[in-house]
Amino acid sequence: MRELQRIKSCGVYMKEILRMENMTKKFGEVFANKDINLTIMEGEVHTLLGENGAGKSTLMNILIGLYQPTRGDIYRCGEKVKIDSPSKAVKLGLGMVHQHFMLVEAMTVFENIILGVTNDKSIFIKKDAIKKEIMALAVKYSLDIEIDKEVTEISVGAQQRVEILKALYRGAEVLILDEPTAALTDIEVEGLFRIIRKLTAEKKSVIFISHKMREVLEISDRITILRAGRTIATLAKDNTDAAELANLMIGKELVTCEHEKVTNTKENIISLANVSYNKNSKHSGIRDITLAVGKGEILGIAGVDGNGQSQLAQMITGVISPEHGEVLLHAKKIAKFIPGYFIASGVSHIPEDRNKMGLIGTMSVKENLVLKRLEKPEISLGKGLFLKNPAMVKCAENMKDKYDIRCESIEQETRNLSGGNQQKIILARELEENPDLLVAVHPTRGLDVGATRFVHEKMLDSRDNGCGVLLISADFDEVLKLSDRIAVMFEGQIVGVYSGKNPPIKEISLAMAGKKMEQGINA
Amino acid sequence: MNTKNNLIKILVPIIAIVVSFLVGAILIACIGGNPIEAFSYLFKGAFGSASNISDTFVKATPLIFTGLAATFAYRCGVFNLGAEGQFVMGAVASIWISTTLTGIPAPLQLVISIAGGAIAGGLWGVIPGILKITRGLNEMIVSIMLNYVAILFMGYLYSGPLREGSVPQTGSVTARLPKLFSQIKIPAGFIIALVLAAVIYYYLFYTSSGFKLRTVGLNRTAAEYNGFPVKKLILISFIVSGAIAGIGGSVELHGTQFRLMSGFGEGYGFDGVAIALIGQLNPVGTVLVAYLFAVLRKGATTMQVGTGLPTSVIDIIQALVIVFAVAGSAFVNLPKIRQVFTNLTGKSKKEGK
Repeated sequence: MRELQRIKSCGVYMKEILRMENMTKKFGEVFANKDINLTIMEGEVHTLLGENGAGKSTLMNILIGLYQPTRGDIYRCGEKVKIDSPSKAVKLGLGMVHQHFMLVEAMTVFENIILGVTNDKSIFIKKDAIKKEIMALAVKYSLDIEIDKEVTEISVGAQQRVEILKALYRGAEVLILDEPTAALTDIEVEGLFRIIRKLTAEKKSVIFISHKMREVLEISDRITILRAGRTIATLAKDNTDAAELANLMIGKELVTCEHEKVTNTKENIISLANVSYNKNSKHSGIRDITLAVGKGEILGIAGVDGNGQSQLAQMITGVISPEHGEVLLHAKKIAKFIPGYFIASGVSHIPEDRNKMGLIGTMSVKENLVLKRLEKPEISLGKGLFLKNPAMVKCAENMKDKYDIRCESIEQETRNLSGGNQQKIILARELEENPDLLVAVHPTRGLDVGATRFVHEKMLDSRDNGCGVLLISADFDEVLKLSDRIAVMFEGQIVGVYSGKNPPIKEISLAMAGKKMEQGINA
Repeated sequence: MNTKNNLIKILVPIIAIVVSFLVGAILIACIGGNPIEAFSYLFKGAFGSASNISDTFVKATPLIFTGLAATFAYRCGVFNLGAEGQFVMGAVASIWISTTLTGIPAPLQLVISIAGGAIAGGLWGVIPGILKITRGLNEMIVSIMLNYVAILFMGYLYSGPLREGSVPQTGSVTARLPKLFSQIKIPAGFIIALVLAAVIYYYLFYTSSGFKLRTVGLNRTAAEYNGFPVKKLILISFIVSGAIAGIGGSVELHGTQFRLMSGFGEGYGFDGVAIALIGQLNPVGTVLVAYLFAVLRKGATTMQVGTGLPTSVIDIIQALVIVFAVAGSAFVNLPKIRQVFTNLTGKSKKEGK
């Protein structure tokens, strides 16, 4: 604490609050970071922009003490510091909100915030006093939280606010936000940006990591572009534009994907009639949905995360069964909701959490790729009584090449791959069978520009081959770009269906917020 | 699987065993013994003569069965701590079959009896399985509790309805598993255990059903989303795990003990769990580790007779193997250590080129 106070006092005279010099980190023979220089000023929003694997996360992990740099120095307010543990980083006033939140799900918001920090020496936690203190902080920065709820009960956006509050409670002066908007919808993003502006107004600095150009240009003061582990440039936002940033980031001209939108839909592949599930919950239920996905179209579901989209995806892949209403698949009523039946009927699923629901992290790339084809005659004898390893290898190698999965070998464990490559494995597995219906939930969450484009192309390809696609995404741009029809979900209901060709953006945004702007903003 | 990971998986238990023996040697020296002499007696006891070698196989057999039972359940991500109860119930079924089904040829009686043991063990295993998948009960607690039920039930049988003579024990079975090969006398039960291990290995790694079972063990949610019948596979793993232990009990009865009495099968369940973990949940590893445990047990007595050192020294070595193997597995999974391994393999690759 004393260290922090000393540094705080020096901040009055100096504008520079943090500097990293010649930061280099080697993993084996690979440079994840090479001679990176980064200077953070007091009260600025400094964006780190770069593709997946550009070295952003490594750099930030060094900054918060999770990694030790191979070479390089860190200066806090001009003073050289060594950050050898996360607790040291906290002492120096550095706080990070990770892309995948580090919250204990079974604990309440309050317990999560005070986890590991106590300011007084007494054995008992003075709950009421601390709660008051936290709530004061929350009010100061307009962080709307429900302090006594369990983490599992609150939305992703709210979890993020808890993470921010947690960092602030620990005395963070520099807040690192790793891909904070990846899980949020536009309206939640606006809320987050308002919080960020409040933070900077209070002289806190924010390091913002993202690759969404529009957001970067909206919120940043300065932008540092990383590519292949090196700093390419640091630019002031006012002196640059999206095209320049994109070029610097990927090092080549970005080809925008243009495609025709389908307007006439033929027969329905799946249709839901007055379907309900867990009706009383606004955030994890479905209320009276009537919806159909046709052959060869992409139906996009737009909406703020946690308005029943997860349940919708789980229902039409057979994970949960509806309490009311009926679901017709290929014009046949479904009696039993089990994933196996849906898969056998040609339904593929890109689940929302690829590590938890899609992949078996400790299994190899090969095993994950052949997961759904174990009983196919080309890789097994007698419907799975004997698995032919050479055939499995061949099959996996083919899929690896076709879907551009980059890994050391197909025997590598999937948990060691980057998010983009993990998603490509799922994509390969789900699309290789030419499904009739593809349910894609946040298919490009956390992916870089190149991988995102690849996923989009593959989805459009399968649409053109007659596959019906249900796209559920919290990325509004993605829904707008890909969907032939757009349905908006709010509190478990479909509140509107719009054409994907020249969609009425304003109207859709309003619908996503439940017609009333004020209500949506705090959601 | 990854070759590098496989190498680590093999190295960890080997290093654990070597280190345990070193620590054991220090321990022996501390209590005034000569470690080299002690270990030479230990190995003489296990391998010194044809009959010693045969006895070691006999001791290894039940451990292989309970180890395989634990391995199979662990592979599906569930913990069967009830192998001892299933082992006992297998033996109970076998003694009942052997005493009621008389008058048929011995080989046929053996086959029926062992099959009966498998069914009884499977039924004892299905109880925690059903309770887990329907009511969500913790399978560890249920299966441990069922151990006591099985042991007490066996006690009732050998001191009540099946008692023979003045001592509380059952009569002996007439159909006995032979010892094969005239020279070394490998017990038939050991061969059954090896065949079973091979079948389990084949099932786990070469069939789609085994693949799915392992998937459930590694990521249950993903298995469900990919359309695998998760609950069915969990139930299967309990039944098969129980049946393996049940066969073990039956084989122990027909091959070694011939009768039920107090202490039958005692401790084999938990030894099996330890063996499965040290054997890295691999059927082949399980067989090897079970054999090592048998060597330690067989040799311990000889060592005590030869040097006067207590057999508990060997118990300590056995416990150390467990501690070091589990600690070693955890150690190599630390991010920093994984990094070192990656660096090492990266370098050796480069040098290879």
